[in-house]
Amino acid sequence: MSVQTVAWVTTLFFMMVIVMVFGIVALKSRERRPYEPIKKKWYEARNFYGTALVVFMLAVTIYTLRELPYDIPVYGEENEPTVVEVEAIQFAFKMSKTEFAAGEPIEFHVTSSDVNHGFGIYDENMTLIAQTQAMPDYTNKVYITFDKPGAYQVLCLEYCGLAHHAMVQKFEVN
Amino acid sequence: MNVNQVAEKTRNNQVVTYLAISGIIVIAMMIFGILMLLQQGGVINLPPATFYQFLTIHGTGMIGVAALAAAAIMWYFLNKYVTLSQKILRINLALFLIGVVMVIIGVFSFEYASAWTFLYPLPALSANAWGTIGALLYLGGMLVLGIGFLLFYLDAGRAIIKKYGSLGKGLGWDVIAGKKAEQDAPPGAVVASTMVTIVNTTAITAGAVVLIMNIINVINPSFTFDPLLAKNLTYAFGHIFANAVIYMAVIAVYEILQKYTDRPWKSSKSFLVAWTMSTVFTLIIYTHHLLMDSVMPKWTLIMAQVLSYSNGLPVLVVTAYGALMIVYKSGIKWDMASGLTYVAMFGWVLGVVPAIIDATIVVNHVMHNTKWVPGHFHMYMGLGALAMIFGFMYYVAKVECNMRINMLDKMAFVIYILGIMGVSGSFLVSGAISTPRRWATHFPDWIGPAQFGAVSGICLVMAVSIFVWHFVRFLMNRNTLNAGSDFSKKKLA
Repeated sequence: MSVQTVAWVTTLFFMMVIVMVFGIVALKSRERRPYEPIKKKWYEARNFYGTALVVFMLAVTIYTLRELPYDIPVYGEENEPTVVEVEAIQFAFKMSKTEFAAGEPIEFHVTSSDVNHGFGIYDENMTLIAQTQAMPDYTNKVYITFDKPGAYQVLCLEYCGLAHHAMVQKFEVN
Repeated sequence: MNVNQVAEKTRNNQVVTYLAISGIIVIAMMIFGILMLLQQGGVINLPPATFYQFLTIHGTGMIGVAALAAAAIMWYFLNKYVTLSQKILRINLALFLIGVVMVIIGVFSFEYASAWTFLYPLPALSANAWGTIGALLYLGGMLVLGIGFLLFYLDAGRAIIKKYGSLGKGLGWDVIAGKKAEQDAPPGAVVASTMVTIVNTTAITAGAVVLIMNIINVINPSFTFDPLLAKNLTYAFGHIFANAVIYMAVIAVYEILQKYTDRPWKSSKSFLVAWTMSTVFTLIIYTHHLLMDSVMPKWTLIMAQVLSYSNGLPVLVVTAYGALMIVYKSGIKWDMASGLTYVAMFGWVLGVVPAIIDATIVVNHVMHNTKWVPGHFHMYMGLGALAMIFGFMYYVAKVECNMRINMLDKMAFVIYILGIMGVSGSFLVSGAISTPRRWATHFPDWIGPAQFGAVSGICLVMAVSIFVWHFVRFLMNRNTLNAGSDFSKKKLA
């Protein structure tokens, strides 16, 4: 399951919960009861709800921070990465290599010679699988190993001028 | 109408002017948004230059006008507790209008199109799409606009310090420390205004620095500065300033729901702690906009995720929870003002979800700068902040002139919710299928959600036009109706 699907399903789930909570409170709003007992009950419930939310967020934080895209992968001695120099320029990507082998570890070293650009790698299904920013004076890195052969594309993901949407570079994974 | 009512009405003249201007600009900006979605949906065929000019004006205009209307809310309620300067309020509006005119001329007469984020060095390096004059008009206009808001917040800070002793006391730190009793804590309007004064003074200062450096770079390209520093300053300005809109507008929720439910919404210790947390987090979480800049120190990016999660807590555990608690079994009388403010809290909480998800580094790696991002902030701004603003407009019309709502307003209420959900939902779906944001044209797979978003946007603009028409009718009747005679606290509750 892709990260996007997980993000979408999680979002929908929590949104449904929020819709239900606000809906129920709105339905119960026309009834009038003294406020003090309600406050007492709700404050007690908040202790539990607040604690549960903090614990949940903490668990998600720890889980999602285990592996980060910034971490340099551990390469075996026989498996040195292919370094690809990428220079973004209005409105194209100059890549030092555009053909790769499936399973080959690759490091894209991405910079820009003019303005800020985005370096977004799309697979054959046009799903975004990795990205970084292309910045003047700085080099950002993407560590990736393509598992599947196919035609991939790089799309600019940072607005960079009037031909931003035309800034596409294709490459092959064999 | 008695003498006090006349005096209050005069004081509110500027607030209603702010709101009327805001309502009209919001409609115009929504039309630009619809045109962009129609273009992305392949329904119309705009030249890319025009699309990106619309993009620039839509982003700048929406953030600017939301801040303007929210500032009116803040002034209206804060002025009940401290003495604010009417002159400064007038100057802010004048500078806003001058800035808007400069921005409009820069964008439409000189084809300037850097998007509202004007990331250095794009204003100077446009690949010959626009020239120096367009860039200077836009950047100068933003600076003039910022100066107006800076004066506004400095005046708010002055007035709060004069009444409460310090900004810390405005946030209720003496109550948190136990030096002052909880019942003497500053009201929500003061606490929220203090928070916004602190964060927006910082944001505007950061924005002014990066705007001035860009202006010098445009005039003299041999003057350059660090692009990463520029990016940090831009997002420190942009994130905080946009985020602060809802913290100003929420004052309307505190005040309106208290009146409609006839229940107090006091500043408890947990309320004050939550606002202090929001102050700190809002100032420093802007780095979640730089999660895809691996040259940033890694710890700042990890902190960006951790603090973005934490920033959801004050809203989810205190503010929204408080709104639900005050409404629950309150016997509240629902009308447009109470309905929109309640919906606004719902929209705020709803918008928090995709925001938190996108602030997760591993998710951001494949969703940053896709349409997921506008999906989150259209929900937060449209269903959250703007609903608070429109709710406040109905509230003012009711308390000043007892303006009655009709069937059309009720229909607009439903259409508004469905419309903004449709727009935000279409953006979220687009993001989930990896559609990049800010693209003038779309590949065939991306077109469907854009078309759905455009149709939803048309419904939305119809609903907003009805809201604004109600307010215009109020303005036309303002001097003729017997203001306030039919209004009492009892009548709201």
